[in-house]
Amino acid sequence: MKWFRFSLLILAATIIGSSDLMNYISVTERFIKPNLLLMLLVYFAISCETYDAIICSFAIGFAADITTTLIGPYFLSYGIIGTALTFIRQVIILKKTAQQAFAILLTGLVTQLLAIILMKFKISTVTNAGFFITFAMSMYSGILWFMLKVPVVGLGKWLGVGVHRFGMRMEERM
Amino acid sequence: MAHRKFKPSKLTLFIGLFLLGIIFLLLPQDVTSKVNFTFIDIFDYFLNMGTANQQQQNKTPGTFVSSQEYQRLQTAYANLDEQYSDLKSQFEKLSKLRLTETDPTTGLVIAKIVNRKEHQLIINRGSKDGLAAGQYVLGDNAVIGLIEQVSDDISSVQLITSTSCKMPIKISAPEINAYFNGTIQGDGKTGAKIFNIPQKYKIRTGNSVYAAERAGLLASSRIIGKISKCKLGAKSAVVWDIDVKPMYEFENLMDVAVVVIKKPEFK
Repeated sequence: MKWFRFSLLILAATIIGSSDLMNYISVTERFIKPNLLLMLLVYFAISCETYDAIICSFAIGFAADITTTLIGPYFLSYGIIGTALTFIRQVIILKKTAQQAFAILLTGLVTQLLAIILMKFKISTVTNAGFFITFAMSMYSGILWFMLKVPVVGLGKWLGVGVHRFGMRMEERM
Repeated sequence: MAHRKFKPSKLTLFIGLFLLGIIFLLLPQDVTSKVNFTFIDIFDYFLNMGTANQQQQNKTPGTFVSSQEYQRLQTAYANLDEQYSDLKSQFEKLSKLRLTETDPTTGLVIAKIVNRKEHQLIINRGSKDGLAAGQYVLGDNAVIGLIEQVSDDISSVQLITSTSCKMPIKISAPEINAYFNGTIQGDGKTGAKIFNIPQKYKIRTGNSVYAAERAGLLASSRIIGKISKCKLGAKSAVVWDIDVKPMYEFENLMDVAVVVIKKPEFK
């Protein structure tokens, strides 16, 4: 894993994801946008070695936190759920794109729920987007994964991950 | 002696990062928000890339004004109308009672939006410019929300549509030349709601809703929006359930103005 390249990719995804450029692909009058960091979280969790996947999950969580006004909730929720996903993929190999898209949908819902719970520890009034927005955003991210999978896998190869297959490395299975 | 590269086990790594997350969570928001604001400060240009393009697209050539400009003028007109009513009322009082003239201490701090989230904006002005939590924020001349958090150079704005944004309001009823007081709260979607207004008050769809004056925060009433729906309460038929559509268009907001009222200095 090439960590400098990884940090550049995450920084770019964070900036693009929170910039007004995303308005161009937002849908409905509620401005539903895909969550790039969520897609990367699922990709790295199911493609990297477990050790690297844990670091990636927490790092992406930190990136998600940095665009809000709180530090901690997404760091923990992305870290915990990303780590859980790396262990889940050892049982259920998420090889097909549709399975990965579904994993993005579920991960989006669970991470947001956990983040909201954690936010309540820090501030009394949590401004959350609501279930519909979260569901729609996760679903949009899942649908967009069908288009973004190829470039993301290409970037993954550039970073030195996912070059073997989705699921465990052979040495992990031994 | 050969160097051994330190590599903790997966469990140690996870627990270490988890504890780091707990520390982040326990740190005061004032401390951690500096990281957020620094990020926004550094990448301000990139975060606003789409906005400049949108602004170009919205420019309408010819003698016609765009709907955005029309909306801005309408809002300005509504505010002027309200200010005129206030001044008329003051004039009537002054003609009866001799009052000492108060200094116009209201100031506006113009700020650029550097980032926007659902129901929240980040602006490039902070406590150095006199901003403080609770101050009113205007966009397109209408009240759009309140200052939520402030650092030295940057602040966050809680929009009127946020469920955690509450403020006192006045509903204008021009048919009977009266105002009704109440409290507005965001509905978490694209509008806001006003609760517990007795049904005996003659309120109609289309009536204007103004942010009420507050000592030290807002010197005169400012428009928030118009009533988009007014029906009998679902829980109690003696009160209205009122939906308010804000005057501003979220995607058209580029700059905001923060109402900063200078406190008088006592000698």
